[in-house]
Amino acid sequence: MGFHPPPSRAALEPFATLDPAALAGLPASSPLTVRSAALSAQYLYLGTGGGKLLLFTLDTPSPTFLRILPIGPTRPVSAILPLPSVARVLILADGLLLLADPLLSRPVRRLGSLRNVAAVAARAPDASDLTSCSLAVSVGKKLLLVDLTLHEADELEVQTRDISLVDGVKALAWAGDAVFVGTASGYSLFTTTSQAQGVEIFTLPESSRPPRVKPLSGGEEVMLLVDNVGVVVDRSGHPVGSSFVFNSAPECIAEVFPYIVVAGDSKVDVYRRRNGAHLQTIPHAKAGPGVLIVASNDTRTGGELVVIATAYKVFCYHKVLAVEQIKALLRRKSYGEAISLLQEFEADGEISKDMISFVHAQLGFLMFFDLRFEDAVNHFLLSETMQPAEIFPFIMRDPNHWSDLVPRKRYWGLHAPPKPLEEVIDDGLVTLQQALFLKKAGVDTVVDEDFLSNPPSRADLLELAIRNIIRYLCSCREKSLSSPEMEGVDTLLMYLYRALHLVDDMEKLASCQNSCIVEELESLLDDSGHLRTLAFLYGSKGMCSKALGIWRILARNYSTGLWKDRASLSETDSPESSVDKMSGEEIAAIEASKILQASSDQDLVLEHLGWVADIDPELGAAILTSEMRGKQLSPEKVVAAIDPEKVGIHQRYLQWLIEEQGCDEPHYHTSYALSLAKSAMDVVHSESKYGDKIKKEFDSDVQLIFLLRERLQLFLQASDLYDPEEVLDVISESDLWLEKAILYRKMGQENIVLQILALKLEDSEAAEQYCAEIGRDDAYIQLLDLYLDPKNGKGPMFTAAVRLLHNHGESLDPLQVLERLSADMPLQLASDTILRMLRARVHHHRQGQIVHNLSRSTNLDARLTRLEERSRHVQLTDESICDSCRARLGTKLFVMYPDDSVVCYRCYRNQGDSASGRGHNFRKGGIFKQCWLVSR
Amino acid sequence: MAANAGNKIRNAKLVLLGDVGTGKSSLVLRFVKGQFVEFQESTIGAAFFSQTLAVNDETVKFEIWDTAGQERYHSLAPMYYRGAAAAIVVYDITNAASFTRAKKWVQELQAQGNPNTIMALAGNKADLLEARQVPAEEAKTYAQENGLFFMETSAKAATNVNDVFHEIAKRLLEGQQAQDTQAGMVLNQRPAERMVSSSSCCS
Repeated sequence: MGFHPPPSRAALEPFATLDPAALAGLPASSPLTVRSAALSAQYLYLGTGGGKLLLFTLDTPSPTFLRILPIGPTRPVSAILPLPSVARVLILADGLLLLADPLLSRPVRRLGSLRNVAAVAARAPDASDLTSCSLAVSVGKKLLLVDLTLHEADELEVQTRDISLVDGVKALAWAGDAVFVGTASGYSLFTTTSQAQGVEIFTLPESSRPPRVKPLSGGEEVMLLVDNVGVVVDRSGHPVGSSFVFNSAPECIAEVFPYIVVAGDSKVDVYRRRNGAHLQTIPHAKAGPGVLIVASNDTRTGGELVVIATAYKVFCYHKVLAVEQIKALLRRKSYGEAISLLQEFEADGEISKDMISFVHAQLGFLMFFDLRFEDAVNHFLLSETMQPAEIFPFIMRDPNHWSDLVPRKRYWGLHAPPKPLEEVIDDGLVTLQQALFLKKAGVDTVVDEDFLSNPPSRADLLELAIRNIIRYLCSCREKSLSSPEMEGVDTLLMYLYRALHLVDDMEKLASCQNSCIVEELESLLDDSGHLRTLAFLYGSKGMCSKALGIWRILARNYSTGLWKDRASLSETDSPESSVDKMSGEEIAAIEASKILQASSDQDLVLEHLGWVADIDPELGAAILTSEMRGKQLSPEKVVAAIDPEKVGIHQRYLQWLIEEQGCDEPHYHTSYALSLAKSAMDVVHSESKYGDKIKKEFDSDVQLIFLLRERLQLFLQASDLYDPEEVLDVISESDLWLEKAILYRKMGQENIVLQILALKLEDSEAAEQYCAEIGRDDAYIQLLDLYLDPKNGKGPMFTAAVRLLHNHGESLDPLQVLERLSADMPLQLASDTILRMLRARVHHHRQGQIVHNLSRSTNLDARLTRLEERSRHVQLTDESICDSCRARLGTKLFVMYPDDSVVCYRCYRNQGDSASGRGHNFRKGGIFKQCWLVSR
Repeated sequence: MAANAGNKIRNAKLVLLGDVGTGKSSLVLRFVKGQFVEFQESTIGAAFFSQTLAVNDETVKFEIWDTAGQERYHSLAPMYYRGAAAAIVVYDITNAASFTRAKKWVQELQAQGNPNTIMALAGNKADLLEARQVPAEEAKTYAQENGLFFMETSAKAATNVNDVFHEIAKRLLEGQQAQDTQAGMVLNQRPAERMVSSSSCCS
């Protein structure tokens, strides 16, 4: 255990001093010597050496004497045991047990015929048992159990039985069913439920003081004393917790939760029950003979009182409430002690949760006024009942938007009402100055030593205070608060961020979900140039138009280099300044586009589309094609609003409209096609114009043309809604032949398509493919015509013609082909081809014959197998049953399915052909046997 | 039994015994709080601490009774070692008398205590090598002869302190398992088919 803090607490407080003899009106010639004392509820019993019992009541402002009861001058009272459950008071006097009524109104009676009683202990009464009581009595070598039961008419039934034999009992105590016995040699334990031999707990060392036992916690545990050590054991004698080490060997022990009060050596000490810490010393000059006696009232009923009795005087104490103890410490500004006391009370459960929160808040305010802002906020945070509005007056001068919200909490009146931070700090600094002055003059002060040795500057304090209040408000944001409170917290948080110029935090707060009141901050932020924050704030509050206005201004200022703050910052690192500026401009555009993408306000979107698209066309396109808005923009207005110069955005929008939104208005399809076609034309033109480009640029141009044309071609092919003629008009002069082919195809101009494919593009494969798509033989003939007579001064394309004949000749009519073949065609070329064509036809015919015959063969095989299947023999016995109805087949007509299941004819009629008797469905899954394979 | 089977956390009563000034409190302070106080006050009566220790996936909660070494409080010791699952007998390697006293404690535990108590012998103050009076070999031999496990420790230098407690926790859990397997032997006496089914389900 070792070290205890110096006892400085006032856990017990005196409230009365009692002179029993004077109060009882006894003459000074016959003095009283108090030998024993007991408290029961508000009654104080005193027993004297001269055999008198005195009764006082302690519940009035000053103790009042009630009665005196003499029990015999030769009977010094050594113990008084109030037994409220049987309405008696037990007195041990001169080895006799006597019973008195609680108000000492009748003469005492002896309890049984016991003599030479060495010790007696009463069992702590059960809460449920209100009419009986057990006593353990040590008489001679016997340990007796005496049961007292109260009957009607105040009649008391007494039953006595032996528990065990123990010699030399000096002290007794009850705990549950167990009686703890202290003898000169040590402590042991006897159970009253069975007459067993006692269990030794431990022996006492040599020449130790007489044993003392004290039940604690209403008989849950027992304290056994060895010298100045108190060993606490449970009902079964097992040690519980560390030993108590008392300053002096106790003569008498009392418990008043959460304290243990110990009398001995002319002083009374108060210890904490839970951890044995020494809390308080109450010195008492030992007046005359006798010992100090302490007694407390019943711990079960929440004892409050302790009496300390000397021979001639009785001192009455009551427990100081936890709250009062803390208040006293706070009044002295002993914060550390107050906190540790609070923790102790908290651990003991002596103080309510609300009160803990209250004390933390109180501590916080005190520390705040002492300029210990960090600690103060830590305590504010520990308080669960503290409302954020309580600190609003520190931030904003009254009256303000939230003045009515500030609760009028009274606390303990130890601190001034909250006032603006600056004033708190100014006043605190004045106090500090005074303290410094006083210290130089040698006067002690309660001001923080750290501050005295290292006086803080006003600016530092202000920043520290603001940072800590920010910390508090930030944690408040996570709590569930009423909306006016939330508004106050967020707005003031922004206010404080601004005071410290914490731009990042301001913007973070402004851009997230917040409850800031814009009107309170608008002009402030505008004045201090925190436009970005303001824009974020507008944005998060849905004031899109204002937010966009600011972003637009910011973007403009960025681009013209007028934006001051960041520019001045970036002077130090000039290489990055342009990047910084650019990115600043882009950030404005990105932020604006975020708002615009979610906005359904068409006019607003179209108003701001321009400048955003100027900065980044991608963002412009993203705004138009956003799917985040609730109501889509009208395509008409959008198309009209898009700057004709910004072809990219226009195209992206139309593409999105058609591909993503599934728009099927021919009008947009045509404009998209036209736009793509124009772009393709432009690129092709510019490429041909600057023929002397360097290689790298040329490559990228080729890439661009390829991509553009691919897009155009894909669209032209995929959509049927555009007007091909209009598109054709645009590209008619160009070499975009494939595109033209697609367009003509859409218009059904087969011949022109074939011409383009076959002659312009010389893509015979595509041409043949096109013929196949048309699907008519005359298409091939047309193509052949084109190959043989291309016109426009081109010579016949015999190779292509021969290829065509080779590939598709067999399906063409040879007569027609021969007719087309011109006389100019070289014979060796033509004969070869014709020969091949004719051969191919014969080959084709023969091939057909082979296939035909093979099929016949398979057919024959199948029929044979079918026949075999049908002519199978089936043996039926007497046991054979129908696979379906399970009836014996006997001589009935039956049917066999291909899966060998046999059913009677009736079942067959019911089931039909498609499902077998075993449930096989031939329609769903065919049946196949290995032997059916065509092997020949 | 102090260590309960079945629970994830096993409570184990542990008692420290040994002559005055051998460093019992310092060992506990080092183990429980990781601290060392140069001038540790002499323990009066007994001090109680609890500390949990994780061994593999199991947790042992030690209820530690740090007893007073003074001879005057010797009579209190049985109350503390009664029913203890483990005991650490501490001596001071720079003090031969404390080793003799430790042997007496071991004898007392063997005679009075629970036969299943795991006993550790700790030669503390191992940092003071130059003042050594008890050879490590001698203590080791003694420990082997008496079925104790032995370690030289230093609460000041934090050597082997946690190891002693860890080793005790390990042995406690092993002892538990040994008992579990003993319980398993009963199963083997059951009919073969039951055994097969139980083994297959547990494998």
